[in-house]
Amino acid sequence: MENTVVKIDSLVKRYGDLIALDHFSLEIKEGEIFGLLGPNGSGKTTTINCLLSLLAFDKGDIKIFGKEMTPTSYDIKKDIGVIMQNVAVFDELTVYENIDYFCGLYITDKAERKKCVDEAVRFVGLEDFLKFRPKKLSGGLLRRLNIACGIAHKPKLIILDEPTVAVDPQSRNKILEGIQELNARGATVIYTSHYMEEVEKICTRIAIMDKGKKIAEGTKDQLKRMIKNTETITVEVLGLTDEVISQIAGLPHIYDHSYDGSLLTVFCSGGKHNLIRVMEVLQKNDLSFGRVYTELPTLNDVFLEITGKALRDKED
Amino acid sequence: MQVFKAFMKVMRTRLPSILPYVIVFMIVSVMISTIGGDEERFTAEEMKICIFDEDDTPQSHALAEFIAKGNELVELENDDDVILDSLYYASVDMVLTIKDGYAERLAAGETEDLFTTKHIHDSYAIALMDQLLSEYVVTVDGYMAGGQDFDQAVESAIGTLSKETEVTLVTEDSTMSKSEYFEGFFRYLPYILISIMLNGLCPVLIVMNRKDLRYRTNCSSIKVSSVSVQTFLASAVFVGVIWLIFVVAGVILNGGLFVGTAWLAVLNCLIFAMISALIAMLLSSFNVSDNVVGVITQVISLGMSFLCGVFVPMEMLSSGVISAARFLPAYWYVRANSMISGTEHFDGSKVLLYMGIELGFAAALAVITLLIRRMKYNRADSVNA
Amino acid sequence: MFLHHLKYDILSMLRTKALVIWLIIFPIVLGIFFKVAFGSVYEKEVKFDAVPAAVVEEEKDPYFAAAAKALSEGDDPFMELTYTDEKEALSLLKNGKVKGIIYAGGELRLSVAGSGSGETMLKVFADSYNAQRKVIVDTAENDPARLPKVIEALSQEISPATKVSVTDGNTDLYNQYFFNLLAMVALYGSLLGINITLYNQADLSPLSARKSCSPAHRFTGLLATLVSCILMETVCMTISVTFLHFVLDVDLGKHMGLVYLTSILGGILGVAIGFFIGACNSFSFNTKVGISMVFSMLACFLSGLMIGNIKPFIQQHCPIVNDINPAALISDSIYCLNICSDYRRFTIKIVTMAAMTAVLMILGLICTRRKKYASL
Repeated sequence: MENTVVKIDSLVKRYGDLIALDHFSLEIKEGEIFGLLGPNGSGKTTTINCLLSLLAFDKGDIKIFGKEMTPTSYDIKKDIGVIMQNVAVFDELTVYENIDYFCGLYITDKAERKKCVDEAVRFVGLEDFLKFRPKKLSGGLLRRLNIACGIAHKPKLIILDEPTVAVDPQSRNKILEGIQELNARGATVIYTSHYMEEVEKICTRIAIMDKGKKIAEGTKDQLKRMIKNTETITVEVLGLTDEVISQIAGLPHIYDHSYDGSLLTVFCSGGKHNLIRVMEVLQKNDLSFGRVYTELPTLNDVFLEITGKALRDKED
Repeated sequence: MQVFKAFMKVMRTRLPSILPYVIVFMIVSVMISTIGGDEERFTAEEMKICIFDEDDTPQSHALAEFIAKGNELVELENDDDVILDSLYYASVDMVLTIKDGYAERLAAGETEDLFTTKHIHDSYAIALMDQLLSEYVVTVDGYMAGGQDFDQAVESAIGTLSKETEVTLVTEDSTMSKSEYFEGFFRYLPYILISIMLNGLCPVLIVMNRKDLRYRTNCSSIKVSSVSVQTFLASAVFVGVIWLIFVVAGVILNGGLFVGTAWLAVLNCLIFAMISALIAMLLSSFNVSDNVVGVITQVISLGMSFLCGVFVPMEMLSSGVISAARFLPAYWYVRANSMISGTEHFDGSKVLLYMGIELGFAAALAVITLLIRRMKYNRADSVNA
Repeated sequence: MFLHHLKYDILSMLRTKALVIWLIIFPIVLGIFFKVAFGSVYEKEVKFDAVPAAVVEEEKDPYFAAAAKALSEGDDPFMELTYTDEKEALSLLKNGKVKGIIYAGGELRLSVAGSGSGETMLKVFADSYNAQRKVIVDTAENDPARLPKVIEALSQEISPATKVSVTDGNTDLYNQYFFNLLAMVALYGSLLGINITLYNQADLSPLSARKSCSPAHRFTGLLATLVSCILMETVCMTISVTFLHFVLDVDLGKHMGLVYLTSILGGILGVAIGFFIGACNSFSFNTKVGISMVFSMLACFLSGLMIGNIKPFIQQHCPIVNDINPAALISDSIYCLNICSDYRRFTIKIVTMAAMTAVLMILGLICTRRKKYASL
């Protein structure tokens, strides 16, 4: 039976009149990569800060490894690794010195620490930058340093708060692969982000937040099953008449459609072989078409349908 | 006027760290002008003096009374520790002991070793007291040599030494009225203005000069010259407000509006406020951090003030120091202010000349600042990959 | 763990060049400025340049002529005289070429245009001359035969007052500026002290938030940062004292060991002040720096760094301020070492400084005990 690593019960946090967390509850099992997804300002970072006992909260209960989490729970803290949203390293120390320092807050034995630090450096791929100061590193490398400082001591619970902000695609992939590897080695991971592709890619279970509340929770498939849309078919076709469009709209499992003169988009809810049926209609009417693609719903669709707004701004 | 507005908004957020400087320096300037720093001046000011009369004769009493006329007599216990404490804490400036046998010995014509004096802090008042004692003895001796008996000689000496020379103060400007606080208030303003301008203006200018903000502004359609003008205007508003605050304080201390040439002091102060602001602009071009600004400010303000006769009167400084000080704006401020306040003979054309030199410094600072900014901000900065 | 924190705090501080360099440069530069400014007044005897004066002879007066000649000739003349008519003399006075006009012939009168040292010197001369002249005139009226004896008596150079030294130390007034400079350097250690909270309080920087998430006891980290600040400030104070005494040749007294100790303790007090300022409020970092700078400057002002006679004024009206003003305590401690024959006063001041340091550090630690924050 899986153990519960993190249990948050009815957490309430107010900043004056603003309710940042509104009876937020969460349970994370051992071995999960748990994604906390939500738009900016939904309360993800506040949740993490309360979880780590950095922030005082107004109501609720937080337990980590079955014990209540307090600022002096040093026995719990030694098994937690934190990668904060803001890069938290010493500007004056080199890459190696930074990792060594933070690892040293957890591991006092010099020999063991050296081993851990060397491993962490290899893990994030910073072997060529050991003597660099943070100011000389690019955004991606800086984020990798930030991660190395948080995981060098091999924690059982790793909390990453938006670790890939402003990171190049290569570094981003490396970070995501690294997280999966850490998970494979036995760490439980809490991963907060507003990039749904990342969360979809690596998280075993996801909670979606908005305005301090949890609005949905489950695996990605479970979440997608919560919404009407199960398939979106897009066809490049010219010269569709209203008659043909109504034929397509009348097909089973199709609940919505749109046509802008060159692109036909059909929204399906349930059913199989929806694409074949649409193609048959087009062929029957002697219509030639260009590219055809079908998409499964994304978490953005889930979020959109539940809240009525997009998870991220279009420019992201 | 977006840059101007942004400057003002940043200034507003910095007010909690700027206001303490303004308040404290206001207190400092009021205290300075009230207490003053004239201890270095060569004046026969009233001293706090304790007299131990071991002779206890009518003649020694007469001397004690004569000394008490121009000074404040303080009574102390005749104990070494008490005396040392009193001298150390300056509750007494000098302890004078009229030795036993003073009257008898002076009557016999002896003039040496009649008193002992104790003091710790040297000052010109102490030197003058020493000289007064010598003169007293010599005058008594002189009268005795002239045929008077001892008692008569003492009485004559006291009468003679009590009379002061007739001194006429020649001044061109009889319309200038100033209170006793005037000279002290304006004299120390260079230190205060430099401190406030550097600590108040520098941090805001450093924010406005930040590389990322500058790059973003340069990408916009606003002209670089417009950015400079708006920044300058916003700084000028700050300078104006501070200057006004201190002028109002000066008027309050003066007990009323300034009259006549006293307004020149206000103009002199405005020019120096501008110079201080330009020093702040120059310093901000080097992108120093906030906590270093404070330390650098003390070096500039204290250094300039000591070298240019703000804290130490100019007549006390060596000719070498004065020659070097001519290259600092505070020197010309002090020269002009000395004339306006009456310490030196007032010459209107010279006052205007000194102010003109100060404006020259302001222009030079402005040019240097612009040049440095052009050099620093136009070269290709290294950008992280 | 403590040594681990300490190692990296010191390393980090040593590499924060700007602040450390300025904390070392600042006393060196100001020390040089002071030394240069006070160089000409830093002598045992008060020496003045000859005072330029115009003489308008209303009547021929051989006595004045003789006295004037004696004072205006020689290697070290007291006055530089220009004999002229009144109109020319007034013109010289107004142009600042002379400090005053002496109207000679009988009793001297003076015209001056200011109130500086030159004018005062002329008045002292005139008072003295007039007094002696009166003695001679009175004698001439009563018993002219005694005039030679009177003149002889008036001409004697005497020292009726014997100065008794109350201290063996150096009582030069301008030494106080250097003592106050050391006090200011010590109080600027508060800038280092403020950084203690920056590195250890989670709501002030992401770095300290990260440290707060670790199992390292917060007290250990805090103590390590405190110790590193103290060590850094100790180095700054040692360099300052060494430079002032050995390079600029400032007389800091005979007990140099105790001067070093006092300065270092003063630096620690400065760090403690900064620590307390950083910990006791929730202002932004910049505001904390502002408060620290203003406090240091005010303390130094009240201790007489800018105006020498502020301290006696405060001693008269509000002596408790001098007893608790950290700058006054530091400068007075060094002064006490200089002038007092025993260590009583010095000990009181050192103990006061130590007590203040302890109290501020304890208060700072109490304020940073807060483990959760309303917002980060």
